[in-house]
Amino acid sequence: MKNLFFALFLFLTTLNSFAQKSNYPILSIPDSLKQNANAVIRLDQMDIVIASQRSMNIKTQRVVSVLNEKGLNDIDAYCHYDKTTSIKNIEAIVYDALGNEIKKIKRKDFKDQSAVGGSTLFSDNRVLYLNYTPISYPFTIAYTSEVETSNTAFIPKWYFIGGYYLSVEKCVLNVTFPKGLGFKKKEFQFDNFNITKTADTDTNLSYTATNITAQKQEDLSPSPSDLFPKVMMGLENFHLEGVDGNATTWEAFGKWYEDKILTGTTVLTEETKAKIKALVGDEKDPIKKAKIIYDYVQKKSRYVNIAIGIGGWKPMLANDVDRLGYGDCKALSNYTKALLQVVDVPSYNTILYGDRYKENIQSDFVSMQGNHMILAIPNKDNYIWLECTSQDDPFGYQGTFTDDRDVLVVKPEGGQIVRTKIYDDKGNTQVGKGVYTIDPTGNFSGTLKIASQGSVYASKSRVETMQPNEKEEYYKEYWDNINNLKLGKITFTNDKENIRFTEDVQISAVNYGAITGNKMIFVVDAFNQYTGNVKRIRNRKNPFQIQRGFLDTDEIEINLPEGFSIEFLPSNYELKGKFGEYKTEIIKKDNNKLTYKRSMFLNKGKYSNKEYDEYRLFMEQVSRNDNAKIILTKN
Amino acid sequence: MKIIKLFSLTVLLLIASKAMSQEFKLGKVSIAELEQKSHPKDSAATAAILYKKGTARIEYDVNDGFVTVTDVETRIKIYKKEGLDWANQDVWFYNYSGLREKVSFSDAVTYNIVGGKIEKTKLKSDGVFEEVLNKYKSLKKITMPNVKEGSVIEFKYSIKCPQEIIRDWDFQTSIPVNYSEFSTFIPEYYTFSPRQKGYFFPKATTARVAKSITFNSKERSGGRVTSTNFSTDYLTYMEDQVTYKAVDFPAMKDEAYVNNIDNYTSSVAHELSMTKFPNQVLKEYSADWASVVRTIYDYDDFGPELNKTGYFEDDLKKILSGINTPEEKILVILNHVKSNVKWNKYYGYGCDNGVKKAYKEKTGNIADINLMLTAMLRYSGLTANPVLVSTRSNGIALFPNRTAFNYVIAAVETPNGYVLLDASEKFTVPNVLPLRVLNWSGRLIRKDGSSEEINLMPEKTSVDNVFMNYSIDSAGKVTGKTRRQYMDYNAMITRGNIEGLKEEEYLEKLENKNKKIEISDYSKTNEKDILLPIIETYSFTGNDLCEVIGGKIYLNPMLFFATNNNPFKQESREYPVDFSFPFTDKYSINIEIPEGFVVETLPAPAAVTMEDNLGVFKFNIAANDNKLQLSILHQINEAIVSAEKYEMLKEYYKTMVEKETEKIVLKRI
Repeated sequence: MKNLFFALFLFLTTLNSFAQKSNYPILSIPDSLKQNANAVIRLDQMDIVIASQRSMNIKTQRVVSVLNEKGLNDIDAYCHYDKTTSIKNIEAIVYDALGNEIKKIKRKDFKDQSAVGGSTLFSDNRVLYLNYTPISYPFTIAYTSEVETSNTAFIPKWYFIGGYYLSVEKCVLNVTFPKGLGFKKKEFQFDNFNITKTADTDTNLSYTATNITAQKQEDLSPSPSDLFPKVMMGLENFHLEGVDGNATTWEAFGKWYEDKILTGTTVLTEETKAKIKALVGDEKDPIKKAKIIYDYVQKKSRYVNIAIGIGGWKPMLANDVDRLGYGDCKALSNYTKALLQVVDVPSYNTILYGDRYKENIQSDFVSMQGNHMILAIPNKDNYIWLECTSQDDPFGYQGTFTDDRDVLVVKPEGGQIVRTKIYDDKGNTQVGKGVYTIDPTGNFSGTLKIASQGSVYASKSRVETMQPNEKEEYYKEYWDNINNLKLGKITFTNDKENIRFTEDVQISAVNYGAITGNKMIFVVDAFNQYTGNVKRIRNRKNPFQIQRGFLDTDEIEINLPEGFSIEFLPSNYELKGKFGEYKTEIIKKDNNKLTYKRSMFLNKGKYSNKEYDEYRLFMEQVSRNDNAKIILTKN
Repeated sequence: MKIIKLFSLTVLLLIASKAMSQEFKLGKVSIAELEQKSHPKDSAATAAILYKKGTARIEYDVNDGFVTVTDVETRIKIYKKEGLDWANQDVWFYNYSGLREKVSFSDAVTYNIVGGKIEKTKLKSDGVFEEVLNKYKSLKKITMPNVKEGSVIEFKYSIKCPQEIIRDWDFQTSIPVNYSEFSTFIPEYYTFSPRQKGYFFPKATTARVAKSITFNSKERSGGRVTSTNFSTDYLTYMEDQVTYKAVDFPAMKDEAYVNNIDNYTSSVAHELSMTKFPNQVLKEYSADWASVVRTIYDYDDFGPELNKTGYFEDDLKKILSGINTPEEKILVILNHVKSNVKWNKYYGYGCDNGVKKAYKEKTGNIADINLMLTAMLRYSGLTANPVLVSTRSNGIALFPNRTAFNYVIAAVETPNGYVLLDASEKFTVPNVLPLRVLNWSGRLIRKDGSSEEINLMPEKTSVDNVFMNYSIDSAGKVTGKTRRQYMDYNAMITRGNIEGLKEEEYLEKLENKNKKIEISDYSKTNEKDILLPIIETYSFTGNDLCEVIGGKIYLNPMLFFATNNNPFKQESREYPVDFSFPFTDKYSINIEIPEGFVVETLPAPAAVTMEDNLGVFKFNIAANDNKLQLSILHQINEAIVSAEKYEMLKEYYKTMVEKETEKIVLKRI
């Protein structure tokens, strides 16, 4: 009897295991999706249910087959939480290549840590993430999570690719929302991708994307968020940390922000007001007043990010900043605004994306956007922009972090989209003037003055604050074309009034001129070689862009060694094209004196993939000519 | 070098005695300190620690018994904006059920000078934060108010630890330290071994004083009428006091090719080595390597894990059948562990999952993997033992203590010496270990508890062998073939670089790195057979490999293999240069020059030999009709080169770069 039971039991379990189908075997991935892929998204389904203005539930199911170690980053099994966002459940199952379950990962096996690092001192935001050690490749992870939040100001983007070397078998988005909250959406870069909209009603939105092949990363490409499909979503009537909000128009949104978030944050003590008034004195000109105050803030404060208070969206009170002397971008901008108010200079909080890569606030999609705040001071028809987190930036200078992009200026009467300052390519200048001498043994000594303006100022002026060893490293890297480089005296002039940074550098190097037999060979252009290496790319697919242009001009006196005569001088060279202009010229002054002139101008612009090789060849010609050599013969 | 160290010590002592007269007390910030514009000895310093005083006391607490109380007070001067980050401070502490420490900040004040007067701003609770780091640790953070260029900040913190743990104390950091003092107060029942390291040593003074503990106890006597007796007992004991004083220690600056700057930072660490309480037996923890090792061996997650064999016996019997030589056994077992258990990226000499579970679940930490490996090697009849290691990132294990190590590998004793093994990485082979392990020496532990120091630094040079044949046409276009053979460490690194890259991607990289040549007929040999050198062969053409100037061809004969830059750019060097492993780079190059051209100039042959057989560079060239033959050797025989030899090494590289970049000139007949 016992035996029979056992046999029956066995039989049942066998049956059962037969019935169990294998999940996501690697074999079933089409070859086209494996090409160039480190990982394949088998299924990525996001179900968003907006129950009301103050309640949103997001279920995520993401199944990723990881083909090799580099694909580990594409698992993306993580979930943020904070005071208003709770994780209802989170788990993952690991399958081997054949689709057999090999491990179940429960909530307690996820790692829990603070979601911020680096410059942020403190934040409530934390993250649960999966850290799985693969036993072998390929394997598949099926991750599911569910979060619930009262914040409806940020509906996650549908942005399922998010990177290179990743292909997609199937992605689904389902959103349901009540009528009357003003749900809206905006689609980006759908062309050339296989995406179908399966529902678009007044309470429902659904998409399905299938069979998207993996892309290789290519230099100078636009950011992935400007290449891959995405959908932005938002509510006209939303909720953020206890505050209801409205985003029908930028005016309305700006007004809401001003009234509900900013109001009451610019109060200062009478003592501080009196101090500021005394500081500004009789100055009448609003811009000059602003300069005095900006300088005061720069000297007084430092950047510390403490992200508490309306999810980090409400600035710290100006009074607290005044007392503590620190704050984040919002706190410091708002504090500067409060000080300016004291002396009757109007200014506006400005929301934007701060990054070297220019990213716009989407002007036709009214919603909470941006990651940074600066201050705008009206100046005739235009604005002067203040970066209040910097203790070094010149007044009104935007460098490369906030320039040339659409931003939201929050005025009391409402918000407005404005373009920040565009640094003209021809204004991004670097002017080099110097002299160098080669002695009969090939040793080099020279001095050079480099003046940088426009967006070049941003990259150069940082050298001033470097430690001596960093400075040495910087120049040895900058002139890595000169072997055995020794630095002499270095002085800087940082003219913040005219935003011009000047380096005055003395350098020397033994054996710059290579002696071969009775000849000496050396590169004429010692001081300013084009170093940006433009890679050869087989079959480029993506367009490319040059975000900022520049203009370099150099004039260098060259003293040749005694006892040598010139055997060969590179000829003058000129190159003109759509990417820019390049010109070099060597003027022989007398037997051992030359003047070398070089100018290079690069246009900013967006170009197609077809033009890339042309650009590479242009740059290669520049690079080759920068390497042109003089040959001297011993008399 | 020793003389220099001694000298700096005497100088320090002289200054020290002078500085003693200054008063270091919280709240006594002087106008002179506030007005100082830059550090007198290091004008580039962005900030400086004006003084930092710490005490670690082991005290008796009525509720908790002996506890450790650490009090630290610090005064910092901010000179420049880049130093403002020093206004943010944090202290980590244990915070889990097994060990709950308490940290509190107090007396935190910012000092500024306003109109010639000192202005004080106190830290309030809005500048104090606590963050959970992980399951075991939390952080207490403060951000000081009203800090700007020129400010002086002061703060004090206290850590109460329910166990007898003395934290490490650094006398140096990335900014100059004017004065740093650390004292320990330890009852006679405890013996701690202090471990000092670094290039500068602080001065230590000791004292022994009598102390007493007061016990108040209540006793109730039974019976119909209970009476309570209060009694007070005194226990007197001796307390050992040690004080370390460091004066004017310079800022630590990282340098290229330093394996870990922490190795050179002046600091003192304390480890409990012995306890002897009244009426109890003496208990030893660790004092020398032998007892450290014995202690570690006795840990549940170490020694016992080595003795488990049941979980693998069946599998091992299968794979070992028919295998007899020790060499074969080693390879088979290493391979078995590597392919069955994957490293979860956690270090440690103690098992995480335990070998059994790790074997079953196919994943484990370093100890899970390498102790399992050791056990299997023993099972197969070999004399195998674990070797405790401190990884490069962990610093060098200078002194005997348990925390000096963070890693373990396996060693097999053979008639030809030890064979070192690590099964945590795919491309390791016997005696070729992951680079993180190459950190001076490790400690081998035998079953009987005895131990021995084992050199971890590779002694055999790893060869990189390049053969190249190419021809040039009259327009300067180069067409040729290369065959490159990577051995030992070079092979391990190359396999790691190639792994996971698509061939097209890899070739694109290779082409761009090598002056944009175009590669065809690429092939790899022994890619999977990791005991053999990996060999790459390919054909190439390049338009950018030589220059045609004024009808002459200027050719760099090594093409893209030439070393164009001296990696040693610094003028002087404080710390040793660490190459990880000794190496030999060999190049054999045959060149065919275009018809109608003859050689005008050839670089002269050259040879450089460094002292103490540190390295040799040889450059030979010969011409034969329209054929040129080159052979180049660049060999460094030591993995670690001391700072005294830096000048010589730099000079060697300078000559090498000169020679390798020298051009051949071809002219028309």
